[in-house]
Amino acid sequence: MGPFTYVRAVDPVEAVGVVSADPGAAFLAGGTTQLDLMKDGVLSPEKLVDITRLPLRGIARTGTTIRVGALTTMEELAADPTVAVRVPFVREALLAGASVQLRNMATIGGNLLQRARCRYFRDPSVAACNKRERGSGCAAIDGVQRMHAILGTSPHCVALHASDVAVPLIALDALVHTRGTDGTRTVPLTGFYLPPGDTPDVENVLRRGELITAVEIPLPAERTRTHYLKVRDRASYEFALTSAAVAVELDGTTITGARVALGGVGTVPWRAWDAEDVLRGATVGRDAFREAAEVTLAGARPLPGTAFKVELAKRTLIRALETVTGAP
Amino acid sequence: MTITAPRIGAALDRVEAPLKVTGAALYPNDVSYPGLAHAAPVRATIAAGRVTAIDTAEARAAEGVIAVVTALDAPRLRRGPVTLLGISPPAPLQDDRILHYGQYVAVVVADTAEQARHAASLVAVEYAEDVPMLDIGDPRAEVEDDPWGMDVDRGDLEAGLAEADVVIDETYATPDNTNNPLGLMSTVAVWHGDGSLTVHDATQWPHGVRMSLAETFGVPESRIRVLAPYVGGGFGAGLRAWQHVILAVLAARETGRPVKLVLTRPEMFTGVGYRPESIQRIRIGATRDGRLTALAHEAIAPVALEDDNFEAVSHTSARAYACPNVMTRDRQVRLNIPCPGSMRAPTEAQGNFALESAMDELAVDLGIDPLDLRLRNFAGTDPLTGLPWSSNALRECFARGAELFGWSRRTPEPGSMRDGHWRVGYGLAGASYPPYQVPCQARASLQHDGSAFVRSAATDIGTGTYTVMTQLAAELLGLDVARVRFDLGDTDMPYSPQAGGSGLTGALGNAVRSACRQLLQAFLDVVADDPESPLRGLTLDEVEAGGGGIHRAGDPGSGEAYTAILARHDLAELSADGRSTPPTPDTTAWAGAFGARFVEVRVDADLGVIRVARVVSVIDGGRVLNAKTATSQIVGGTVGGIGQALFEETVTDEGTGRIANATFGDYLIPVNADVPDMEVVFVGGPDTATPLGTKGVGEIGLVGIAAAVANAVHHATGRRLRSLPLTLDALL
Repeated sequence: MGPFTYVRAVDPVEAVGVVSADPGAAFLAGGTTQLDLMKDGVLSPEKLVDITRLPLRGIARTGTTIRVGALTTMEELAADPTVAVRVPFVREALLAGASVQLRNMATIGGNLLQRARCRYFRDPSVAACNKRERGSGCAAIDGVQRMHAILGTSPHCVALHASDVAVPLIALDALVHTRGTDGTRTVPLTGFYLPPGDTPDVENVLRRGELITAVEIPLPAERTRTHYLKVRDRASYEFALTSAAVAVELDGTTITGARVALGGVGTVPWRAWDAEDVLRGATVGRDAFREAAEVTLAGARPLPGTAFKVELAKRTLIRALETVTGAP
Repeated sequence: MTITAPRIGAALDRVEAPLKVTGAALYPNDVSYPGLAHAAPVRATIAAGRVTAIDTAEARAAEGVIAVVTALDAPRLRRGPVTLLGISPPAPLQDDRILHYGQYVAVVVADTAEQARHAASLVAVEYAEDVPMLDIGDPRAEVEDDPWGMDVDRGDLEAGLAEADVVIDETYATPDNTNNPLGLMSTVAVWHGDGSLTVHDATQWPHGVRMSLAETFGVPESRIRVLAPYVGGGFGAGLRAWQHVILAVLAARETGRPVKLVLTRPEMFTGVGYRPESIQRIRIGATRDGRLTALAHEAIAPVALEDDNFEAVSHTSARAYACPNVMTRDRQVRLNIPCPGSMRAPTEAQGNFALESAMDELAVDLGIDPLDLRLRNFAGTDPLTGLPWSSNALRECFARGAELFGWSRRTPEPGSMRDGHWRVGYGLAGASYPPYQVPCQARASLQHDGSAFVRSAATDIGTGTYTVMTQLAAELLGLDVARVRFDLGDTDMPYSPQAGGSGLTGALGNAVRSACRQLLQAFLDVVADDPESPLRGLTLDEVEAGGGGIHRAGDPGSGEAYTAILARHDLAELSADGRSTPPTPDTTAWAGAFGARFVEVRVDADLGVIRVARVVSVIDGGRVLNAKTATSQIVGGTVGGIGQALFEETVTDEGTGRIANATFGDYLIPVNADVPDMEVVFVGGPDTATPLGTKGVGEIGLVGIAAAVANAVHHATGRRLRSLPLTLDALL
């Protein structure tokens, strides 16, 4: 870890001003990703602006949405009664991530901005990483591939987006509220992340110094059933091989509403729009679920080491749909 | 005085537990000195070639930096000696050649650990790179046949295969696994004004470190003190004086400051050994009724270019079953890799997986229950020598285990047992661990107040050595455990071998027993002509210890207290030395531990997810000194076995030799959620080969789990997985 200076921000406008004006500055929230990356030499900010004392923590119910301050911890959001009752898959995804110790530190804003777990990105002794240094190449594509993405990849980057909670949030059309030097704006999470293309170092639409202030979660209809299923080698404390977040509304055995997103497979949290189209109006059952899975993974570009993920992701989605609909 | 001597075998709580749970136990990386400096190594980022230049200017200019020593300017050091563990690792920084990724090329010393780490990242190394040999099949690699002279040929293998009704011929693979003790390996080195040296090290063998440092730095052993009172786990990683230990001592000598060096987790993957991968071919021939006619086990494993590691993967197969025609073969391939080393149950963990998987395959082919197949081929005498075992309760292990596990509920057809989405599988494996013991010494003293101090330079790497030796000495001296202090981990104490090879309890226990008996003899010598002593003229065979003193055997009222003897003879204390040597039974075959492992797995029918649901282990551990610590050894070994079965695989990048998953986030070991209910039962009695009758139980707990899990996965799914770890992608 290189030397850096540390300042504690007392006001969001001031914090945004400092980081916007200084290319060597970075925000520090829970630090659970940031400090790891600094210790590994991947990030070397010259100045850390600690935002943990800013008034951006807490959960408020406003009509049909929940507004979550960016500094709310994962554990705090998981414990929220409205989340538990109305969007239980958000709670399931939170509790399937990291460990209690990390969830007590990690913030929702930071979770959305967590960096790839790719071991080629995270080890500066590997020279070729377009995400670390644009144009340097990608050692990961020819490396150990099991944890790489199969959707949204490019020849320049195959790094996975590892967030669990972003998967149900993107399925719910969550909104990201930000503050920049030009004031505030609101970005839908579905448009927040950028696929790697030929600029894998640019991961989202945030401008330099722009700060996430809150995440707004629209609440689905009361009768909506939700489920988050995470598949991994180890029973806990591991990133997903595949995951699925599903929210459905049923009328008898007819699916009248469906929201679907996948984790563990995309360079960004993967909203499965095509699956939703298949499911909406379909009859609950294996045929519709299999078709939804097939259309979702039709665009997969697996590597030899990730070929298994195509079928695993399909089965994960099918199982999640079976569970949420109570189908046999 | 009321004394309740603890029975050997009682489940006494760890005597050092209060120190550990309150943080008062000082592990090597807790040690500090005034003026302490910190060292951080710089590691090679290629696997083969030469260092052509090292630019240290930026590092030297960084804040707090005291010194930078590199492979191009380091002082000459001698390689450590050949010990009972074989050759020592090469001394670090001695030339410009790079033989493996992660090899140390420099060490930076600074005022703080953070400054040292940062400055180490500023050292710029240039290389002339060669194409490394990383693959076990690389045609350029040197292959050595029968590296340990342990290959076995018994009977006529080809004839045995020819007479078989059924022949299994399969190849199994196990990957590199890395020792991951929670305590990072760390060394604190202090050179004193008189040229003597004190080293605090996370070692499993303080005397081994002392021998290495004496040779490497040309200092008499008597002027070196190595301390390791607490070690945060080892699993074999602490057996050798690895190069980082030398770097810390070198850094202290070069800077004139006390120096601490704590490895990072990624550095633990290249610097302190690991279980090397193996490829194993097994052929088993059997008659229709399940009698083995032939068994061939051929294994190959890699080793570093200029170092050594004992890994006779196939050897135990020659001793596992009654089979007239047997061949075992081991080969070693020299590659550009960090040197492998012992990892809990070295050789057995890999070899048993192949053998016990193959036995399961044979059982399936023959339509015989896997338990019956093993009992039909039970080796009633040692197959290697033909002699009766010094003890062997393997059949009781199977019988008791089957009963506790409910093996009879198993329906043989694969996939026939289900629970919702889960397919349920029952699997088992037999296990054995070879006996091992090397010479050891101990010293016992009785103080004038009647308390005892017993010590030896052994280590307690979490196994319970402090506790069981306290218990043992208390019983042998007839004292309450609270009146006995057992201490260890200091080369100023009598010589002890390593905590390794499941051999320390036997070696140290017999040495403590010897010391305690010699101490009783010393008391008898003192009162031999003492007319006031009721013990006058008695021999050791005629007395017993108890109640804080010595009395005639069988007559507790007939003796006198240690305190009375010491006071009357004006002695502040009496001490005696003891030693143990390996047993050399000539009418029996010295047996190690045996065990039977029963495992229930659950496999998700669609997703392939594998979870271990239940494990029953029945172990013949000889005489158990402490039921609690012995059980903990089997429990810990079982968790390690689950790791080997389902998770652990050190992955090396092709071409560069970089370890691709050298972190706890990427190298998976079991977490609590992966660890099921584990029942552990001990059977059998004291082993007849040694006075104490113990068998080592530190490693057998890992042996057999991987095979039992793989066999259970086959039972659940009908899929035979022959390559570890067993992962869900193989089941989709």
